[in-house]
Amino acid sequence: MGQIMGSYNARNVDLYMDDKPTFDPQDGFSFERKQREMLARDEDLISARIPPSKRDYCAHHLLEYQVCRYKNMPMLYRCAHEKHNYLNCEHQDYVLRMKEFERERRLRLRENRLVGVA
Amino acid sequence: MASALLKKILISNPNGVRKAAEIFCNATRNHWNYQYKPGPYPRTPAERAAAAKKYGMTVEEYQPYPEHMCYGDYPKLPDIGSDSKDPYYPYDQPELKRNFNEPIHASQEIIGEDRYDISMKPRFSLLHQWTWFLGVIGGSFALYIFLEDYKFGRPVTIKQYPKDGPHYLFCQK
Repeated sequence: MGQIMGSYNARNVDLYMDDKPTFDPQDGFSFERKQREMLARDEDLISARIPPSKRDYCAHHLLEYQVCRYKNMPMLYRCAHEKHNYLNCEHQDYVLRMKEFERERRLRLRENRLVGVA
Repeated sequence: MASALLKKILISNPNGVRKAAEIFCNATRNHWNYQYKPGPYPRTPAERAAAAKKYGMTVEEYQPYPEHMCYGDYPKLPDIGSDSKDPYYPYDQPELKRNFNEPIHASQEIIGEDRYDISMKPRFSLLHQWTWFLGVIGGSFALYIFLEDYKFGRPVTIKQYPKDGPHYLFCQK
């Protein structure tokens, strides 16, 4: 299936961008999934004035990056690694969301199939 | 020219000096003197001929404004904006597109080149303009309404925040 039509046809199971997953997260796995960990503490994020929209599972990388910026202020090229870590983490976060989307789509298709058979 | 005019006034008028001074003072200070004022509305053919001669026109082309408009004997000229006049004609005053002694339109300050061209011929008719305007706007709007049902975003679920309960990776514990 093409990538565009793949996400476009998700509307056939009433699935759109930024929807919430509806199935139990452990459904259909032969193993128990690992839970995501929030490594940054809330007090640190508040103290560093990280806006709420950025307080996701990559916030500890962002915090590190901002601390680095503060310490090296004019020489921001020194924070390239921190920035890279943060952006990589955000990328992985996005990939995870895409995976959840695909999982949700397939599970809904499967449910429709089972309902159709029954 | 000013000296010639002054001499003429002095010769033709016995007590002309005071009057000439008044004319020049008023014309420069107030941009007006009594000679700018049109005469009374012409009622007889003889008056019409006199008025036509005064404004340098033939009797046939001379036509005063209706009396109730209070323009006196001032001629009613065709409504042609300066912008519509031929720019390549060798006018005596190319800036105003006017020849010497040519009568000025009563509304010349409005239909001059810097203002509104009353006789402008639009390149496209009003119907043409409206058709295209409404066609483009309406067409865009119709397309927008039609495509409302075909929107789709990127294939991602909602962004995961720690406060929204447990989230799981796709790897083993």
